[in-house]
Amino acid sequence: MQLRNKKLDMDTFLSERTEVMTSWPTGKDVDFEEGVLYQLSLPESKRFSSALAAADREGRTLRQPRAGVALVDEHIKLLQFLEDTCDLLPSTIDAYTRLNHYEKAAEGIARSTAAGTSLLNGFPAVNHGLNECRRVVESLTKPVQVRHGTPDARLLAEITLAAGFTAYEGGGISYNIPYAKKVPLDRSLRHWQYCDRLVGLYEERGVRINREPFGPLSGTLVPPFVSHCVALIEGLLALEQGCKCITLGYGQAGNLVQDIAAIRSLRELAHEYFQAAGYTDYQLSTVFHQWMGGFPENEAMAFSVICSGAAAAALAGATKVIVKTPHEASGVPTKEANKQGLEATTQMLNMVREQIFPMSPTLDQEIELIKREVRSVLAKVFELGEGDLAQGTVRAVAAGVLDVPFAPASCNAGKLLPVRDNVGAVRIFEPGRVPLPDDVLTFHRDRVSERARAEKREASSQMVVDDIYAISKSRLIGRPR
Amino acid sequence: MSETNVILGVIGSDCHAVGNKIIDTVLTGEGFRVTNLGVMVSQDEFIDAAIEVGAGAILVSSIYGHGEIDCAGFRGRCIERGLEDIVLYVGGNLVIGKRDFSEVETLFKDMGYDRVFPPTVDIKSVAQSLRQDIAARQ
Repeated sequence: MQLRNKKLDMDTFLSERTEVMTSWPTGKDVDFEEGVLYQLSLPESKRFSSALAAADREGRTLRQPRAGVALVDEHIKLLQFLEDTCDLLPSTIDAYTRLNHYEKAAEGIARSTAAGTSLLNGFPAVNHGLNECRRVVESLTKPVQVRHGTPDARLLAEITLAAGFTAYEGGGISYNIPYAKKVPLDRSLRHWQYCDRLVGLYEERGVRINREPFGPLSGTLVPPFVSHCVALIEGLLALEQGCKCITLGYGQAGNLVQDIAAIRSLRELAHEYFQAAGYTDYQLSTVFHQWMGGFPENEAMAFSVICSGAAAAALAGATKVIVKTPHEASGVPTKEANKQGLEATTQMLNMVREQIFPMSPTLDQEIELIKREVRSVLAKVFELGEGDLAQGTVRAVAAGVLDVPFAPASCNAGKLLPVRDNVGAVRIFEPGRVPLPDDVLTFHRDRVSERARAEKREASSQMVVDDIYAISKSRLIGRPR
Repeated sequence: MSETNVILGVIGSDCHAVGNKIIDTVLTGEGFRVTNLGVMVSQDEFIDAAIEVGAGAILVSSIYGHGEIDCAGFRGRCIERGLEDIVLYVGGNLVIGKRDFSEVETLFKDMGYDRVFPPTVDIKSVAQSLRQDIAARQ
């Protein structure tokens, strides 16, 4: 069947569901109607959408860590340890489960049990199954989200949503291009229509599940307009399947004005595109991810990176911030390090909360720039799709119109090359085949030239590499030393 | 066997692509003929590629923490498939959690890797030892 951006009909959904539920033995424990009743029995304090609505109303930025380990009891202990220091909880899923390698995940669970410590980088929710996932939700007092990186996340969604998780991260583009190598884009888009439709079915039964497209993509010098285009497309695709509670995301780039402009423009563009497509009944919020690129090894220096992201998130008015840890340079953190990241973030959020970053011509210019870039690219996406957004997305990625820098997926062109300008904002060095207005391209070129002159060298791929490592080596901009 | 043919890739279910592209660029700049298999490479895919181009070394990266599972048994598999003398390097964030590097180095050397690198290593210095290690095996 050809991919269309059209709500899946019940027959299609149900016949596909049979196949999904038998793809691993734990699928058989899930009963949708019983899952709805279980969700309805949860107190409002565990509902993600309620926490987001309250935060937006009060102008607060909520704190959420990443966390997940192999075994259920250890996972509960980890989340309970973090619970007092954050507002929203995660269950970060391990990398084997993300690729549907449940046998490998089973091996990881067995070896973790034997070793007495987690050898997996996340929580293998599918292997543990419905009742063990419910035990996680029941051991906590705050809302829990599934955070992962799964191109085919259908079974994971069925199990975790029936188990009482109230938010689900991901999308057909954002969980393919940065996370997979050979998964065709039309396939992951189609699999995410299933996840979105499932969320839509819960919504129709009075259960609101929050849906969050993954904002940061490759986490490496992604220009705001690139991630905004993906976020807006995934938001529109989710709305079509009946999702109502959408959180759009963005990963910190490092220049404060650009980061604030990114969150403000993201919210405004979302309303613009959602309403233009005829959607009016939705709940919109934003998420700001603290720096997703390489971190300094030195933990004191890492705290600075964490706090700069906390400040930017609050000043930008993001609904929530995803928090890093001082162990980021070494990978998966201890629970103590995880809590320290949250504590540093809390202190900064509390100090910045009442402050409003004033509008200025520079901020205005950045907001307008991002909006024009997004409109230019999305216009081409719609044109390529001949009116169908899903088809347009597949063709736009194939044509390099939508292009994510430094991503592993072979369906992605990888021709767009970003670099920082002389004040550290992420600009375009090589546009590849991304369609931007001439004056916008000239603007980027001028800003990059300005930096090149200041550094007395030509802009080059070496400059890009210097930027990729700059923050881990204590600078924002990768200048020659 | 060409002394400068090397195989590069990120092992297991790991999708971290950025460092891989940079290692490729630097090693190519240093004169190696790099066959870069990219992310999510199985042990057998590394070995297949090494046999095909007659590589002197396999460079394994792992960033996501599953290195201890993914990298185990690789030396044995190389020997089984006739690559007794191939130079085997591994680098990245190889285990779950922040552990003392010397401990991690011992763990992976015991698995049969010739050299073990932290994520902060200078790739040009890796190139230097790589050249020596390949020459020493011939």
